[in-house]
Amino acid sequence: MIISNDRLRDIGEFIPQPDDDILICRCEEITKGEIRRACHDGIFTMEEMRRYLRNGMGLCQGQTCSKLVKGIMARELKISPLDLEPATSRAPMRPIEMEIYARDGGNVG
Amino acid sequence: MNRYDVVIVGAGPAGLSAAIEAAKNGMKVVVFDENSKPGGQLFKQIHKFFGSKEHKAKIRGFKIGEELLKEAYDLGVEVVLNAIVLSLHGEKELTVKVNDEVRHVKGDAVIIATGASENMVTFRGWTLPGVIGAGAAQTMMNLNKVRPGNKILMLGSGNVGLVVSFQLMQAGCEVVGLVDAAPRIGGYGVHAAKVARTGVPFYLSHTIVEAEGTDHVTGVTIAQVDEKFQFIPETEKHFDVDTICLAVGLSPMSQLLKNAGCKIVEDPKRGGVVPEVDELGMTSIPGVFAAGDVSGIEEASSAMIEGRISGAAVSEYLGYITKEELEEKIKVNEAALDSLRQGMFAPKNRGKLVEKTDEGIDVSMNLLKKGFVADEEIERFPGVTHRVGIHPVMECTQNIPCNPCQEACKKGCISIGSNITSLPIVVENSSCINCGMCVASCSGQAIFLVDEDLGDGMATVTLPYEFIPLPKEGTKGKGLGRDGKPVCEAEVVSVKNMKAFDKTNLLTIKVPKEYAMKARFFKAV
Repeated sequence: MIISNDRLRDIGEFIPQPDDDILICRCEEITKGEIRRACHDGIFTMEEMRRYLRNGMGLCQGQTCSKLVKGIMARELKISPLDLEPATSRAPMRPIEMEIYARDGGNVG
Repeated sequence: MNRYDVVIVGAGPAGLSAAIEAAKNGMKVVVFDENSKPGGQLFKQIHKFFGSKEHKAKIRGFKIGEELLKEAYDLGVEVVLNAIVLSLHGEKELTVKVNDEVRHVKGDAVIIATGASENMVTFRGWTLPGVIGAGAAQTMMNLNKVRPGNKILMLGSGNVGLVVSFQLMQAGCEVVGLVDAAPRIGGYGVHAAKVARTGVPFYLSHTIVEAEGTDHVTGVTIAQVDEKFQFIPETEKHFDVDTICLAVGLSPMSQLLKNAGCKIVEDPKRGGVVPEVDELGMTSIPGVFAAGDVSGIEEASSAMIEGRISGAAVSEYLGYITKEELEEKIKVNEAALDSLRQGMFAPKNRGKLVEKTDEGIDVSMNLLKKGFVADEEIERFPGVTHRVGIHPVMECTQNIPCNPCQEACKKGCISIGSNITSLPIVVENSSCINCGMCVASCSGQAIFLVDEDLGDGMATVTLPYEFIPLPKEGTKGKGLGRDGKPVCEAEVVSVKNMKAFDKTNLLTIKVPKEYAMKARFFKAV
């Protein structure tokens, strides 16, 4: 049940909060206010949020912030966090040097 | 491509147990772990574990890690460290970064035992250096021998918060307080009690307002919250601290399973985003299993059993053992797992207020709110009795899965019975010989040997002591109550340490006899 995808739903006006400047995603330096505002820009899923703001795309790959982002989005969208699907997990699971990744020859030879 | 019968990701309690079981059944096993040391969280657990004797209770966590690792190596398990698994595909092919190359590995079966990571909470200043996870603090002090700070505030009263607070004090830090937004302490009462009796205050229904400092933590403000977790004005309390530890829960690291295409569910009772698994731990992809915290947050003891089950399941899946053999193994392990999942802290009771013990005794509310059983509550528990001469006093007041004390007393003074979560009782007409084995065996440090009347108006209390410096015989000081406040004058009359005590020292203090049932800790002055 992904009701969060209903773009016609009215989530009200963006109302500034005193702690909007608190960092949520430390790796990419995304604040709470930016995440909240993005919801009002029409970002309704975690996957979209990640592409829109790059939260969870840094060194820790969302290990620290994804639960926090989910909570903030759910409150802003007035839904349960359980209704927000986690973002897709893709390889590589951990940051890796391009130099090493590029040499991946699939153990040939 | 390197091929194995089974590829295991994660060399923690679940992964190693699975590897041992699979290797025993003749499988070719490899275990990858991204850390430089194996054992997962086990090697930083310096406390004695709960559980039953068969499941390594009263052994310190790091010792369990050493035992598992030795067993795995002896069975020919290949453990590859500093090995970062980058991806897992449905065909059970993995890419693994080892040193500066990417290896491709294929298993006929895969067991994911990647464990969990620490949750964070945000407040003003939470990104300042000095705000760290409680697990990180434990890694610093217990693995790397670095004290994380000097004055510390702990947020979170689950077992992690309680155990790490105690260990911080063992490392010589001052813990200024233990804070939790919940109205009740989340972890085992015995863990809370051993922290409280040293004088650490508990602030329940409180949380952090702000961490102060410009380039590192110099202080913290907490405030009380209402039932909706909103701050109550004018309840702020300030502490000068240099470190704030966060112990606010764990989240399963299930990304690899998601990456492979396993069916994933979000289940708050299991700690977050977890794979759908059958009773053997098999995910929606045949041959891909999950074991340990990655499939639901529990204790390390459960993770070890789950690992064993999945190791057996994988052996049957690939034809190394018969269905009957598997069933036999499952029966034993399921029973053990089931016994660990009983009692007040069973997964089914998560978040619930349990008001009565299984024995029908009112649970100590003071313990849940302040971290210690009040003097007027303690007498109602069956481990607390009075008799002439020396006798054990077991301040074990919650149904938790643990029974080493029963075995420890060779004189049969202590009985728990077959139900591992029952409260220990003092057996009538048994004779205590003051050996101290029960005191040292209690992982919760909740057993004391008391002689209530020496005949000269004095009494002795023998208590477990795991701090340095160790007071010497003749040291004078104060007897502290269960709340950590000084209640009387006290003098150390004996300090015992034997190999069998496994580094738990037994301190016997002499106190005025009216404090025999009150003094539970010693502080030199």
